Amino acid sequence: MYTLFIDTHKDCIIIVLYQENQIIIKKEIETKQNHSNATMPVLVESLEQAGIDVQDIKEILVVNGPGSFTGVRIGVTIAKTLAYTLQIPIKTITSLLLKAVSFSHEEVNIIEKEKNGVFIGTFNQNNDLIKPYYYLKTSEYHKQEMDVEDIEIDYERVLQYMKTLEPINPHAVNPLYVKQIEVQNG
Amino acid sequence: MKDVYILAIESSCDETSMAIVKNGREIESFTVLSQMDVHAEFGGVVPEIASRMHTENITMVLEETLKKSNVKMEEISAIAVTYAPGLLGSLLVGVEFAKTLSLVYKKPLIAVNHTIGHIYANAIENTLEFPLLALVVSGGHTDLILMKGDYDFEILGSTLDDAIGECYDKVARVLGLKYPGGPNVDKLSLEGEDTYPLPKPVNDSTYNFSFSGLKSHVINLVHNETQRGNEIRKSDLAKSFQVTAIDELTRKVELALQNYEVKELIIAGGVSANRYLREEIKKVADRYQIKLSIPKIEYCTDNAAMIGAAAYPLYKQKKFASFDLNPKSQATIVDK
Repeated sequence: MYTLFIDTHKDCIIIVLYQENQIIIKKEIETKQNHSNATMPVLVESLEQAGIDVQDIKEILVVNGPGSFTGVRIGVTIAKTLAYTLQIPIKTITSLLLKAVSFSHEEVNIIEKEKNGVFIGTFNQNNDLIKPYYYLKTSEYHKQEMDVEDIEIDYERVLQYMKTLEPINPHAVNPLYVKQIEVQNG
Repeated sequence: MKDVYILAIESSCDETSMAIVKNGREIESFTVLSQMDVHAEFGGVVPEIASRMHTENITMVLEETLKKSNVKMEEISAIAVTYAPGLLGSLLVGVEFAKTLSLVYKKPLIAVNHTIGHIYANAIENTLEFPLLALVVSGGHTDLILMKGDYDFEILGSTLDDAIGECYDKVARVLGLKYPGGPNVDKLSLEGEDTYPLPKPVNDSTYNFSFSGLKSHVINLVHNETQRGNEIRKSDLAKSFQVTAIDELTRKVELALQNYEVKELIIAGGVSANRYLREEIKKVADRYQIKLSIPKIEYCTDNAAMIGAAAYPLYKQKKFASFDLNPKSQATIVDK
């Protein structure tokens, strides 16, 4: 059984292909502009290298933000369309939880930087979110002791964690933006 | 020849639309999910909100489109998608969606120019007869085009400043009409008389158009009258504006018909839904005894049916796109 993981929330396209619990392909491609011309070619190349057909994928995992609005939309659109058309389960993980599940910790603030500010998620030792995600502009953000930003993602731990999640109806898979857009601020 | 079924996707602005089009001319299934009500709150399309709603709705629009038809995904010959011009974030959702369908069902991908799509709305339930003269009128375009065959475009003239649809929207705003402005000006003008003298746009012998002078005149007129405390007869002004703007279109169409032998006259783009334009252009076609094609109202506004129709000639020519297809906010019809 093959599981496909897609993460396009930052300036990097990440595709991971698991066979059962084993990582068989892991690609991280830096892109300069948007991900549109690159994401699908990287996905196709991953399938070719693994020697499998898209129909062999039996589960989709996708990072649904927060991060670059456009970046997240590309990954989520591809992921929900794959899950819907292939009729396979899909699960989402946030960019902050992705970091939280990658290491052992007590209560921690996970920080995800973007161009003009930071997204913050506070998790307990079991990776439960203990208050809603929020966004601060760079000028409003002051680093605290329990803030952790640089975490190397452990994709094996990510897979183990995501096994505990329930699949979502593909129609209902949507980006998590957290940050308000100008028109909403009035 | 085997029937060709194209699944077409359009998401260039605030409509998520899909259609299954048979042989480039028969609509097997057609869905349009409009976001108009949401954007009306903001007085115009908010690009970020448009992109978000496309992502939210896109798989449901596919489900709806497939449900309305007996055609199965396996029987589809190709996936067509609008790649330009339009709102980049909105186009992107449709393009990535189309690529994914192309991958899953192993069908060729066809990239369609949105403006060319509007032209091919006239190929739905109609056989285009070349050479033809096309008047493309929308929020981004005012073009007179000579077509000698499929995808053979010669632009005879274009607007030198504002597109006619843009001009309509500005006039709607100064008249205090709600979004979408153009259709509301058209509606209001039905109750009015042509009583305001407005300047005719440049009366030259080229095929070019100009609408910024007319637009500025209407805006200044409203401001001046309001400052003097005079009431504006809004429906009359809407009517006078409409007559002046549309007459400029039909005058240039007539000029082209005098100078080019064509077999058909077609109208395309969002403004082709305008009632006064439809009436006036019909009079011109009658006068010159030429075949006239105007799309049904539902194929005038942004829709996927026209994208499927425009994809058909590309399918026959095997002009397919690859997975690195990138949407573009701007593109002319002659740059492919």
